[in-house]
Amino acid sequence: MANLSTIDSISHYGPIVVLLVMAILFGVGNVILTTVLGPRSQGPVKGMAYESGMNPFSSARRRFHVRFYVVAMTFLLFDVEIVFLYPWAVVFGSLADESALRPLFLGRVLFFLLTSVVAFTYAWRKGVFRYD
Amino acid sequence: MSTQFYVSVLTVAITLKVMLLACAYLILLERKMCAWIQNRIGPNRTGLSLGILPLRFHFWGLGQPLADGVKLLFKEDYTPLNVDRPLFIAAPIIVMIPAMLGWAVVPWGGLWQSEGWMWPTWIPFIGGGSVEPFNVSVTGAAINIGILYILAIGSLAVYGIVLGGYASNNKYSFFGSLRATAQMISYEIPQGLCVLIMILMWSTSRADFLVILQANSTWNLFYHPLLAIIFFTCVLAECNRAPFDLAEAEQELVGGYHTEYASMKWALFFFGEYMHMITGSAFFALLFLGGWDLPLVHEPAVGGLAWVALKIIVFAIKTFLLVAAMIWIRWTLPRLRFDQLMRLAWRGLIPVTLAMLLITSAFVYFGIENWIYYCVANVIIFFTAPLISQVIPTGAPVNRRVPLAGSRFSPAET
Repeated sequence: MANLSTIDSISHYGPIVVLLVMAILFGVGNVILTTVLGPRSQGPVKGMAYESGMNPFSSARRRFHVRFYVVAMTFLLFDVEIVFLYPWAVVFGSLADESALRPLFLGRVLFFLLTSVVAFTYAWRKGVFRYD
Repeated sequence: MSTQFYVSVLTVAITLKVMLLACAYLILLERKMCAWIQNRIGPNRTGLSLGILPLRFHFWGLGQPLADGVKLLFKEDYTPLNVDRPLFIAAPIIVMIPAMLGWAVVPWGGLWQSEGWMWPTWIPFIGGGSVEPFNVSVTGAAINIGILYILAIGSLAVYGIVLGGYASNNKYSFFGSLRATAQMISYEIPQGLCVLIMILMWSTSRADFLVILQANSTWNLFYHPLLAIIFFTCVLAECNRAPFDLAEAEQELVGGYHTEYASMKWALFFFGEYMHMITGSAFFALLFLGGWDLPLVHEPAVGGLAWVALKIIVFAIKTFLLVAAMIWIRWTLPRLRFDQLMRLAWRGLIPVTLAMLLITSAFVYFGIENWIYYCVANVIIFFTAPLISQVIPTGAPVNRRVPLAGSRFSPAET
């Protein structure tokens, strides 16, 4: 299996490009087809937004609850943290047992996780995760 | 271009067709299973006789997806007047693209070893040529970062939903897309942590190696039963499936982010959802159920064409069973409330997966490889986490329950 891990090359991403082209063609093709094939009619009432029969009173793009921004910010924090951990996770298990790097790797990641646990606890105590 | 490229393109082309057909028939399966659960018959009238055979050949309603597709294509593709036109048209396409890209790295058939062959001379262009002995991976893209690729493409799905809801300029759509965004990004963190733990345990992020390693030892399901449950929950939430379908809660938000959509554009949202279900199930089978590994049958990691066929069938059956389980869950469990949903992710799943990450890294550090230790750690976490959550202080309740008698809402006094 060791010699198989070296077969990865940039040409292996080629099928993904082929698939991407197929996906774009499928999506665009369907939208064009249904526009061409379907009937068409217009009207002022038909053009209104469907809000269960009520007359729409204003644009929908209004201010919304600040809670959603906070969710997005905490998500960024944790997602970036996890992204930093992926390379570590790939390497850590394959280090030799007697390697001096192992305690170093573990210690640094534990410290890194500690900082995010502190951030998580802070956010929790601040009531970020309260949705009631 | 290598043999791997040709095999991959062939796999991609075949899988794409199978996926599109499977999506169409999953909608029929969903309606059928819903009917069985509710003690009905379900759609059984639309046959495949196409007006040629007598009407009593109804083929158990198998023509329904075909009829649905044709009907949706010929429906009026209406764009309301107050929408953001370019984004409104682009949103379904943007939903469709990541849904169709996600499964590219799933190792359906494992590794295929062949002696090579001569093409017969009657085949145009390539006749008479020979194929060297090769050793390829029967997958869409044999890349080193396979598992991260599924995660990364899966998280792109949120863009189409946000754009669809924003462009519609409809309050229901807007709130639906807000909810969907908050939900999808929240459940991405425990999902990412589960994947991280798997990578940490097996020291590889390549999808086919992960399957081989599981086949040689034990399925991850036995190593990490709790994480399997958490991962499946996250897959359900990422697909916006019940009990996490807050984004399209009919009673509150009509259709959610696709309220304003009609005809094939609307259908593209559904195609995207069902394709995400298949991708999520395949991802779960790959991470926890050992991919193409069949219990009690010792498949070689590198095999001939017969083994490849067997592996594809086993993988497909596992994926199908998981998709069926997702449909079963949808028609069985009631929907969560939005605050319960977010609390489950942030206060429940993320601390539990973080604790599992710490335990697993300690196990890896001390070189523990027996699955029983991991399983015991999972069970301990499963039972202690609810106890610990009782100890954690909660703030003053915001929505207090006020008794009706004596309050200003009481009907008795004025």
